[in-house]
Amino acid sequence: MISLGVGKMGDQQILQVEGLEKSYRIKKDWIRAVRSVSLDLSAGEVLAFLGPNGAGKTTSIKMMAGLVRPDGGKVRILGGDPHREAPVLRHVGAVLEGNRNLYWRLTPEENLEYFGVLRGLSRRVARSRGRELLDRFELSHKRNAVVQQLSRGMQQKVAIAVALVHDPKLILLDEPTLGLDVEATMVVKRLVREIAAEGRGIILTTHQLDVAEELSDRVAIINQGSIVRMARTQDLIAAFSGGLYEVVMEDLPEAIAEKVVALGALVEGNTIRVPETDLLYGVLDIVRPGVILSVSRQQANLTDIFLELVQGDR
Amino acid sequence: MLEQFLAELKRAWIQFRRYPGEAIGGIFIITSVFYGLFLSAKYIAGPGLNFGDRLDAVIVGYGLWTLVTFVLFDIAGNLQSEAQTGTLEQLFLSPWRASRVFLLRAIANLFVQMLLLSCIVTLIMTLTGRFLSFPITLILPLFAVLLGAYGLSFAMGALSLLLKRVQQIIAIVQFTLLFLLTAPTEEWTGVGRIVGFLLPMSGGAGVLRDLMARGGDLDWGRLGLALLNGVVYFSLGLGLFGWAERYAKRWGKLSGY
Ligand SMILES: Nc1ncnc2c1ncn2[C@@H]1O[C@H](COP(=O)(O)OP(=O)(O)OP(=O)(O)O)[C@@H](O)[C@H]1O
Ligand SMILES: [Mg+2]
Repeated sequence: MISLGVGKMGDQQILQVEGLEKSYRIKKDWIRAVRSVSLDLSAGEVLAFLGPNGAGKTTSIKMMAGLVRPDGGKVRILGGDPHREAPVLRHVGAVLEGNRNLYWRLTPEENLEYFGVLRGLSRRVARSRGRELLDRFELSHKRNAVVQQLSRGMQQKVAIAVALVHDPKLILLDEPTLGLDVEATMVVKRLVREIAAEGRGIILTTHQLDVAEELSDRVAIINQGSIVRMARTQDLIAAFSGGLYEVVMEDLPEAIAEKVVALGALVEGNTIRVPETDLLYGVLDIVRPGVILSVSRQQANLTDIFLELVQGDR
Repeated sequence: MLEQFLAELKRAWIQFRRYPGEAIGGIFIITSVFYGLFLSAKYIAGPGLNFGDRLDAVIVGYGLWTLVTFVLFDIAGNLQSEAQTGTLEQLFLSPWRASRVFLLRAIANLFVQMLLLSCIVTLIMTLTGRFLSFPITLILPLFAVLLGAYGLSFAMGALSLLLKRVQQIIAIVQFTLLFLLTAPTEEWTGVGRIVGFLLPMSGGAGVLRDLMARGGDLDWGRLGLALLNGVVYFSLGLGLFGWAERYAKRWGKLSGY
């Protein structure tokens, strides 16, 4: 595997995963939930795990967190093995899938204190870290309301705060924007960016490709347990965007249209589609001096790429 | 360790204070069930009845039964409800062993429970007009009983990690328990004596009955055996729990798959 991890904050390796394997038995059949998944993550980097339902995202994340034991392969967090050395878990914070991750009968403040101590802080430190985080996440006004009474978006913010209370280096977020409205999604996205900028490594899974596109430095697309593609998000989008341009004319006479088509472009009404960058200038020469309303580049987005990769694999 | 215990205690106390209905309802039910039994026994036996130290022994047994029932289902109940609410995996993400987290938590819960139990016992004693003695030495046999109870509690916890649903088992265990805690195994002879020693908790319960209901002195020999019995059951329970934890991680069952 080629290492693509060039972190923004120097190159401190936070997580190394090599050849993870996991199979489950359901009745008599074995399903290979995860097949030879390898990746690494540097400080300050956000890696998005994309894949259809049942692709093995959650299973991979839980193996990184020491919650599911891999059948094969290894996980190293800052050099330590979370499956053998429990103290390594001090470097890990996680918000897991669809779960509440919080005590609903306690307030955000009480949750932060409790989990802080559970992660090895003293009560005093846990309390002050908790207050800091509540301030930072703009939750201070709700700190004495029980979690049960908070909105879904606020609960998710509290859960992220709890994952950060012991100042871990690695943050695992399984579908952090699931079930959130537009505004709450934006807040969570902002928080994720901030957390990464502090020099933490973040792995998140999501089904919202726009979220991945905006947040991640790299994406790993996983299907039926295997990573089918891993690349820097921008590179992947560029690679799939090709050189498709769209030139919209005010008027496109028949004779000119024919010349353009002969060059290799496509015409549809007054719109010319140029499949390759090299052709663009030839096309512009032909249409001169007609009135051009717009020239635009068609960006592929992760959704297209995702569908192509995942369906191409079926 | 102390910090963590205090955090657990705080959590248990907050939950009790914020939602006292469940606990107080519990006191009411437990007390009235006992009083109901007491009244009907009295009615059947007629006015001349004198339970004497038998009644005291029954009160001790009943109080102990309440306490041990609580301990016994604490870990399993916790595991189950936390698997449902989704906090369970967060507990396993701590740098401590899960068994340590659950033991500290169970002890913290017990502190709160003790408070309730003293209300129950006081109520029962007032209702029946029988007063038990509470010598300080009672802590020792109580400790022996609790050791066994926590051992079984871890075993039940192991079961709930594996099976996720333990309600069906609870009813069975609860009545076996009543037998274990009230059976006068100290009066058994021959093979029965050995069996009595091997049964969980019943030896300690016997010592406790002697102390509180019969006003006897502490029998160090029997206490020693009871403690040994407690330690063995406790270690067995811990071992089983550790095994179940590994099994759950192997099959991805921590979150209730
Ligand atoms: N504990 C388990 N026992 C049996 N099968 C399991 C277990 N956990 C996961 N699986 C199976 O392994 C596969 C991968 O599941 P996983 O939850 O990792 O997928 P996912 O990518 O997170 O999917 P989703 O997008 O739906 O969350 C699925 O086929 C799932 O049914
Ligand atoms: Mg998932």
